[in-house]
Amino acid sequence: MIDTVSLDPNRHVPGVRRPGFGDTVHAEWVKFWSVRSTFWSIAMLFVLGAGLTVLVCATSAEWLASSDADESPAAFVTWGMMFAQITAVALGTLIVTTEYGTGMIRATLAASPRRGSVLAAKAVVLTGTLLVAGTVTAFAGYLGGNWFLDREGIGIALSEDGVLRAMVGSGLYLAGLGLFAMAVGLLIRHTAAALSIVLALVFVVGNMAFLLPGSWGEYIAKLLPGNAGGGIATPVSFNPQLLGPWTGFAVFAAETAALLIAAYVVFRRRDA
Amino acid sequence: MYAATIRRQARRHAHHTPSAPPGVPLIAVRGLTKTYGQKVAVDGVTFTVEPGRVTGFLGPNGAGKSTTMRMILGLDRPTAGSVTVNGHRYTDAPAPLREVGALLEARALHPGRTARNHLRWLAVSNRIPERRVDEVLDLVGLTEVADQRVGKFSLGMGQRLGIAVALLGEPPVVVLDEPVNGLDPEGIRWVRTLARQLAEQGRTVLVSSHLMSEMALTADHLVVIGRGRVLADCSMPEFIAEHAASHVRVRTPRAAEGETLLRGHGLDVARTGDELRVQGLDAAGVGELLGGQGLLLHELTLVRSSLEDAFMTLTADSVEYSAAMPQEAGATR
Ligand SMILES: Nc1ncnc2c1ncn2[C@@H]1O[C@H](COP(=O)(O)OP(=O)(O)OP(=O)(O)O)[C@@H](O)[C@H]1O
Ligand SMILES: [Mg+2]
Repeated sequence: MIDTVSLDPNRHVPGVRRPGFGDTVHAEWVKFWSVRSTFWSIAMLFVLGAGLTVLVCATSAEWLASSDADESPAAFVTWGMMFAQITAVALGTLIVTTEYGTGMIRATLAASPRRGSVLAAKAVVLTGTLLVAGTVTAFAGYLGGNWFLDREGIGIALSEDGVLRAMVGSGLYLAGLGLFAMAVGLLIRHTAAALSIVLALVFVVGNMAFLLPGSWGEYIAKLLPGNAGGGIATPVSFNPQLLGPWTGFAVFAAETAALLIAAYVVFRRRDA
Repeated sequence: MYAATIRRQARRHAHHTPSAPPGVPLIAVRGLTKTYGQKVAVDGVTFTVEPGRVTGFLGPNGAGKSTTMRMILGLDRPTAGSVTVNGHRYTDAPAPLREVGALLEARALHPGRTARNHLRWLAVSNRIPERRVDEVLDLVGLTEVADQRVGKFSLGMGQRLGIAVALLGEPPVVVLDEPVNGLDPEGIRWVRTLARQLAEQGRTVLVSSHLMSEMALTADHLVVIGRGRVLADCSMPEFIAEHAASHVRVRTPRAAEGETLLRGHGLDVARTGDELRVQGLDAAGVGELLGGQGLLLHELTLVRSSLEDAFMTLTADSVEYSAAMPQEAGATR
């Protein structure tokens, strides 16, 4: 068997440049795509986001076309994205918590000691992926779902108000949500805990907050991350109380940025 | 066994030509301290690791070896003191994997990633040519399982992958935390050979262990720590000379006569039956004294107390977690 080793310490590799941020991003990209959970999450994102949209449009088209419909058909063409959010949260959480769970964070920081670069590289890989996956999924759901709506004569053209914005908005919102979850993951460092916190905040607290009394209660509800950011991902919202799509997204982006800064400050000082 | 070891080492040191021109890579640890809450894990540790030799970093469980190594790699922030690698902080290295290769915890891997992909992302991060990935896989003997998920790897395979990671960037400085953990005898011998070869190539090699016997076979230089403090920092022969007491065992039918004779020469002698334990002179000297008086010798042996004993004695006061000795009936210790 292997008994001897041959390494030449004087061997120089010609033309090697000093690694930069691009290499850190590339490394994170390789890391991201070399585990199964990434493929599964993206597949689930598509199945839930596009599949459920098509399904709900197919089953509701007739009712929506009838006179007793009290919802706008436009609210249905991105319906599945509500559920696709879960996968974005999962991807964002896992991109940091698996490293802490396995202890691999030490290998990462030994290879790239500039922690800000590591965090930024993870953000680039995550948002790039979610932006594309979210937009493509929203389009697929719209095209499939709208086919059923068209059959009932209530189809919505891409040129109609907010439709195109909702497609790109789906990508933006999922990317933002991924970053939000990543920041929480970096602060908590524990997969199950971080996942539960973000999912509870977006799905449970977000909906319950509308039960708060008074106008301040309404404001808190509107400002919660899922409620503020989600509006951009649908042409017409089911919930009339939300902030406007871009205003809401700006609020959500500010919240995410604040959380990321907090996570970065902690990450920079903490022992790996 | 130890006698053989020591002979081998003596030979090695005789041939050892120190090759440390100025500016060569080395690790300099100065007054390094790390506290976790109330717990002082590393307490004012100072030592250097020189190129061209294997420095053994030895200490009982919880002595602070891993903590020191994490601080060398800039992973944990020292409470006080500093550590430089190659004259600068590790975190300031433009391509750290090409300067320092480290094995910290071999199991710190994503179980779902293949060995090749694990090495690939590391290579990419430091602009190490991707053919190095195949080279190191080959070097550690993992080529055949390179595309298997590391979650399925045995302890030894994981350890080998960790060593592959350390060697990926052909680093002039190599830091290995308990590299033989979980390896079979064949693997242990392989790591030992590897460490020696890396040092012979002029690299700076720091290897931690809590086994003195392992270090005796691998290290040229020893840094012993206990409870976060440096207890010894010396060459292996110095350590042996200083800490491993030796005596000469003599068996002769005329033991009482021999005892008197040796005492007469100012030696420290203890007699049990026909056996003498002589301290203060080597075997040849003792043999000449006794033989000169015509005493018949049945045995003449140099007995060294084991290095393990020496290490135990040295660190006795600083063992963090010591198990109570099993109390057997009649056992007195
Ligand atoms: N992150 C941490 N938080 C709190 N205490 C820690 C931490 N890391 C290490 N310690 C403590 O510091 C001491 C030194 O630990 P360290 O792991 O460095 O020892 P070691 O010499 O590597 O031991 P071993 O031979 O068991 O690997 C131990 O008492 C340990 O419990
Ligand atoms: Mg340790």
